[in-house]
Amino acid sequence: MNEPMHDVDLAERRERVTMLRDSAAALVPADGDLRRVRAWRFAGNGLDAQAWALVCEMGWPGLRLAEEQGGSGLGLCEYVALLEELGKGLAPEPLNEVACLVSLLPAEWREPVLRGERLVLPGHGAGLVADHQGRLLGQAKVSLGKAAHGWLLMNEDSAWLVDAQGLEGQALATQDGGHVLALALNGVPAQRLASSPEQLRRVRDEAALGVAAYLLGCMQGAFARTLDYLKVRKQFGREIGSFQALQHRMVDLHIQIELSRALVEETAACLDRSVAPGEAQRRIYATRVQAGDAALRVCREAIQLHGAIGYTDEADIGLFLRRVLVAASAWGTQGGYRQGYARLIAEEAFNG
Amino acid sequence: MSDMNALHEDYESMSDEAFRGLLREWIETHYPAHLRNPRRRLGLEESRAWYRLLGERGWLAPGWPTRHGGMGLSAAKQLIYMEEWERHGCARLPDSGLTMLGPLLIRFGSEAQKAFYLPRILAGEHFWCQGYSEPNAGSDLASLRTEAVDCGDHWRVNGQKIWTTMAGHSNWIFMLVRTDRQARPQAGISFLLVPLASPGVEVRPILNLDLHDEFSEVFFTDVRVPKENLVGEVNQGWSMAKALLGFERIFLGSPKQSTHALERLERLARLGGIEHQEAYRQRHAALRLRLDAHRALYERFAEALRQGQALGPEVSMLKINQSELFQAICELALEVAGEDAALLDPLAEDAALYPAGLFIQSLPTTIYGGSNEIQRNILARQVLGLPG
Ligand SMILES: Cc1cc2nc3c(=O)[nH]c(=O)nc-3n(C[C@H](O)[C@H](O)[C@H](O)COP(=O)(O)OP(=O)(O)OC[C@H]3O[C@@H](n4cnc5c(N)ncnc54)[C@H](O)[C@@H]3O)c2cc1C
Repeated sequence: MNEPMHDVDLAERRERVTMLRDSAAALVPADGDLRRVRAWRFAGNGLDAQAWALVCEMGWPGLRLAEEQGGSGLGLCEYVALLEELGKGLAPEPLNEVACLVSLLPAEWREPVLRGERLVLPGHGAGLVADHQGRLLGQAKVSLGKAAHGWLLMNEDSAWLVDAQGLEGQALATQDGGHVLALALNGVPAQRLASSPEQLRRVRDEAALGVAAYLLGCMQGAFARTLDYLKVRKQFGREIGSFQALQHRMVDLHIQIELSRALVEETAACLDRSVAPGEAQRRIYATRVQAGDAALRVCREAIQLHGAIGYTDEADIGLFLRRVLVAASAWGTQGGYRQGYARLIAEEAFNG
Repeated sequence: MSDMNALHEDYESMSDEAFRGLLREWIETHYPAHLRNPRRRLGLEESRAWYRLLGERGWLAPGWPTRHGGMGLSAAKQLIYMEEWERHGCARLPDSGLTMLGPLLIRFGSEAQKAFYLPRILAGEHFWCQGYSEPNAGSDLASLRTEAVDCGDHWRVNGQKIWTTMAGHSNWIFMLVRTDRQARPQAGISFLLVPLASPGVEVRPILNLDLHDEFSEVFFTDVRVPKENLVGEVNQGWSMAKALLGFERIFLGSPKQSTHALERLERLARLGGIEHQEAYRQRHAALRLRLDAHRALYERFAEALRQGQALGPEVSMLKINQSELFQAICELALEVAGEDAALLDPLAEDAALYPAGLFIQSLPTTIYGGSNEIQRNILARQVLGLPG
């Protein structure tokens, strides 16, 4: 069974989590300023190069990677704390993408990726196959793919590394001002990676937890702004936050945030202690579904509570909704996780 | 000309089926194919030709009496009219003159105002926008401060309106202005008609969350407005506007947005090949059931209208239920869209599907026309009689 952690370990980890949270301020201004995020939208290749250099300087892409592979080998508790902070400020950097896939990369790619000299981004494609010469066929989608030097393309049980040089895809604009690169591969050279299906599944599951943590940050960012607004906006001679109907709504959203936080932190802690794969997956799916539902709800209601100003591009509150729409469709969809969770608990019941 | 049509075509004596058939055939023949199911609300230039065509046919104003050039339809036939337009994917017209100002003038305007403005709305000469809200007067509309000062032979208007839908595509604005600062807030407001081309008026578009400049800010600096542009009595603007809001709420409570969204949801599910999946079917059925119930409620109000009854504050139920159902349908569509829910533009496979866009467009329906919170307050106090 799970051993409780030693107090010393625990204190040390708490401190590390606090430090990581504080260090996120390098990317996410503590005062909630979203000018950098605005400037990033609908411009360039999807990567703020300066910000990404900073991310790599801080060693974040290697956070989860074993020390002997050049990473810092930190646990999920630390990892989710960092992603939550980045979510609060809507940092558009593909950290969860890179940090999750870096363990799959061969050394000649891994090292430059960790140093920020090269960027590899993951893509998913259901029908990917390699022909007898090892060339890749099928379709895949890579979030922010235009910015990458290489694409790590996965199906359920295999992963390939494709050098992006000379290849083109169709960039589809996304709501947050980024893009998804749609690739039609008709026999492109690809390096098949020596990853087991279990390894790939773990990468995907941890990434899903990362998404949940990021969404937890997004909802808190949207909530905090709304709370502030309700204290200053006046109608009928009073702050609108004094109306009970709105107070109750805010309380309900607060509860949703705390439910999401409880699951994110509990799941991360459980996985750090290592649990059976089935249980790990069930916990992750539950966390991802809760965070996805709550993030959409908080952002939608935040706009409602702002009134018409919330329905403008000029007000920052809308940026949260737009980002949540995109973040919640990375590494699997809300519907996919909802059904996956239902399947897992049915299997558990069946197996007694 | 419209009167002649009315003589030829006594819509009220037609059976519902015959009336529906008449509309359908004409729409299918005449509606410009490229304007079906537009992604966003059409601007003036895009819809002008269609607007004119409808005007020539005498079909612009289903609810206006025939003597003013309308179709004189009962509520039931108006519903059919709306349904047929919706079925074909016809775009919403720049319709504030038709659905808001027209009915108000018909009820409260002077004979001279009716004779001047109504034909110009039908001719596609005047396009109107609604200038009520101000930066500090949203839900608390009665606190509005844009002021019209009596200068003997004209009004002098100063102030600012905001969220004025289609202001950039209109040439006139009907607005609420303060004409008495001393009176109780509601008692010092008048209803004024102002050409947007007047010196001192400035329209500044605002980009909305759908990245479209559908609404604007409108600034007024020492704008001279002729005395005769005031509708009704001075300081009676509030009650007139309120009468109009009731009408707007039936309009906003019609099942059409939800019906449209449900159709899109079904199309999306077919595209994704999940329409037979049990989990989807159950959630779809639950929404369809809510739509059935909404239609039944809407029908009751329509019937009351048919019987010539006035609609009371309970009409707010329709607006609340419709807008929240619309959003719920759009939310399921987001989930059904999966990865495509992230996309900015319509789907490559079917340009009529833009799940995130439709979801975003559903959000303001619980804000405009009196927010749903305000509607609930009205129902709680005025219908349930709960203490204020
Ligand atoms: C897309 C769009 C189009 C519009 N078009 C027009 C137009 O053409 N012309 C025009 O004049 N206006 C227009 N409006 C403005 C609309 O009428 C206002 O947005 C609306 O009245 C709400 O006012 P507000 O935005 O200032 O929000 P606020 O009044 O500031 O409200 C903010 C939040 O507080 C809540 N709230 C306020 N008071 C209470 C209370 N007493 N109890 C409980 N909750 C409360 C509101 O429901 C809302 O959730 C439009 C708005 C939108 C979004």
